[in-house]
Amino acid sequence: MWMALSYACWGISIVLALWMLYDWFKVDTTFSEEVLTSSREGELEAVSEKHRI
Amino acid sequence: MTITLEPVIHGDRVSLLRVLGPAHVWALGVGIVLVGEFTGWNFAADKGGALAALIVCWLVGLLYTSVAMIDSEVTSTVAAAGGQYAQAKHIVGPLMAFNVALFLVFAYTMLEVSDAILLGDTIVAKAGVEGLTHNSFIAATIVVLAWLNYRGVLMTLNVNFVITAIAYISIVILFFSVSPWTQGAVLKLNELVTPDNALPYGWIGVIAAFQFGIWYYLGIEGTTQAAEEVRSPARSLPYGTMAGMITLLIAAAMTWYVCASMMPWEYLGITYYPLWDAGKLTGSPLLENLLFIATLLAALASANGCINDAARAWFSLGRDRYLPTWFSAVHPKYRTPYRSILFLLPIALAFAFIADLNQAITFSILSGVLQYTFMSINIVMFRKKWPLGSIRRGYTHPFHPLPAIVLFCLCVVTFFAIFLGFGSQLIAMVAFYFLISLWFHFYRYKFVRRGDQFTMPWPKPQGY
Amino acid sequence: MSRYKPPEQSKAGQIFDIVVVVVAIFVALWLPLKLGLAGAAKSIDALDTKTWEALGQNATMASIWEKLGYTPETAHDIIRNRFHYVIDWPTLIIMAAVLIGYFVFLFRASDREYREVINEKFDDK
Repeated sequence: MWMALSYACWGISIVLALWMLYDWFKVDTTFSEEVLTSSREGELEAVSEKHRI
Repeated sequence: MTITLEPVIHGDRVSLLRVLGPAHVWALGVGIVLVGEFTGWNFAADKGGALAALIVCWLVGLLYTSVAMIDSEVTSTVAAAGGQYAQAKHIVGPLMAFNVALFLVFAYTMLEVSDAILLGDTIVAKAGVEGLTHNSFIAATIVVLAWLNYRGVLMTLNVNFVITAIAYISIVILFFSVSPWTQGAVLKLNELVTPDNALPYGWIGVIAAFQFGIWYYLGIEGTTQAAEEVRSPARSLPYGTMAGMITLLIAAAMTWYVCASMMPWEYLGITYYPLWDAGKLTGSPLLENLLFIATLLAALASANGCINDAARAWFSLGRDRYLPTWFSAVHPKYRTPYRSILFLLPIALAFAFIADLNQAITFSILSGVLQYTFMSINIVMFRKKWPLGSIRRGYTHPFHPLPAIVLFCLCVVTFFAIFLGFGSQLIAMVAFYFLISLWFHFYRYKFVRRGDQFTMPWPKPQGY
Repeated sequence: MSRYKPPEQSKAGQIFDIVVVVVAIFVALWLPLKLGLAGAAKSIDALDTKTWEALGQNATMASIWEKLGYTPETAHDIIRNRFHYVIDWPTLIIMAAVLIGYFVFLFRASDREYREVINEKFDDK
């Protein structure tokens, strides 16, 4: 039982790691670097308040 | 209020999401720390005896109460991801900020490593199966939690709240099921802690015990990392941090009382599972299993919070160009610092596979204490540069400068304690910080925009 | 005062910087382990007579040890494994000097950088 659990752990780790790599690749190719790194310290308050609609 | 989870369109800014409340702040702070009651604090008993572990529980409690008070004041005013990093940047200067961020990343990553090792070892100990190693459990812990962090902060901290609460309640259940009001039935404190063995090494043992006494509370200051993601930082951060500190003081006292009343100090000092052992010694399978599960949950909650905090500190370094800006990317859908999370993942994994628990804990403690030393000086400078009344503070801590002085003195004692056990390691670590500071000051800093780093809408500091 | 314009860093330069930091982290954490610097002076003060009484354990303690699965023989190495706290003055002085030197450098260099930041931030207006 414990051995099976151990193998399951390896399996989950690999699947999730691959998913993260895939998502990372997808995001980095879909969005431009300016958009991705556009977060600014201190402006957040203002941004979320403006985030109206 | 319409903050959506949809990818933002071009031209808009992608920032972290403001979705957390005080309960999440509590879950982040207590979640990181609570594992210390399940393992780690008891090594203080090894260093100086059972009574020394209790004395440092109180004295280090005082140290962390000062930390929480000081931190609440500064953070409720400088509310930015990166926490103490952003504080240092606005109050002391860029080089200090760079170092503080490294303290944070080291302290949290090594704590995460310790948690994963603990979790793996606990399962292996429970299974008792020949040939079963902890590696798969370590990998699963680190990868699954990184994935959770990748997918969004709200879910991450909701999970943390639930598992931290269960782990905490299990300590309370253990406490009340050993009839704490009567000695002699289950608890035998006066037979286990006698005048002869209470302080086996005398007072030097008490000082040495400070090193692991830190473990009762290490990480509570991590609440500040959530500053950019809580809905009202000025209110939630002091509230969540203080509530967390009170919770932990109670848990630490209960843990010591139960464990010291059930195990001889020599055993208490070397076991990796003091609370689980206490559960076993009650003879109740229910309590034993409850404490086993709680140990796992506490380790998970802690690792989870650590990934959250380390990634935010690393992210902030990228955002200010202290490190390549590549790290400052925010996931357009999940709104998390996803590249920082992914970058720190293999580093944590590597150390979890090569280091042992004691060493990882010591690295973490060292970086923590360096950071507290900074905090005691930082608050004095903060009050001097912006006296009360000159800017709006979310929270003002009382008795200034007493907490700062207490904190500084206790840090000096802790450095001495680390010297008694890990002196050479301390020197090696400080040498590393020194060299990397030279690298930053003379080389890396040229890529940093100067005035842009100061983002708070404050008046010019006094004396400049 | 004119605004400071940082140079643009090339992609290769960025990657190189990341590598430097990662290597530094690994060296700092690994080296003490490899050199065997980690760990305190703990050694076993062996006893010839291995009984609970000789090990300083009273009846209650002995019963708990037994409940945990230990005999006086197996518990001996745990109980008699003691710290020997000796203050090694040269190391202590080096440590204190390194720490103080480090913090002094940090605060002084930070202050120099900080003045630049403040000047640029508040003189621009």
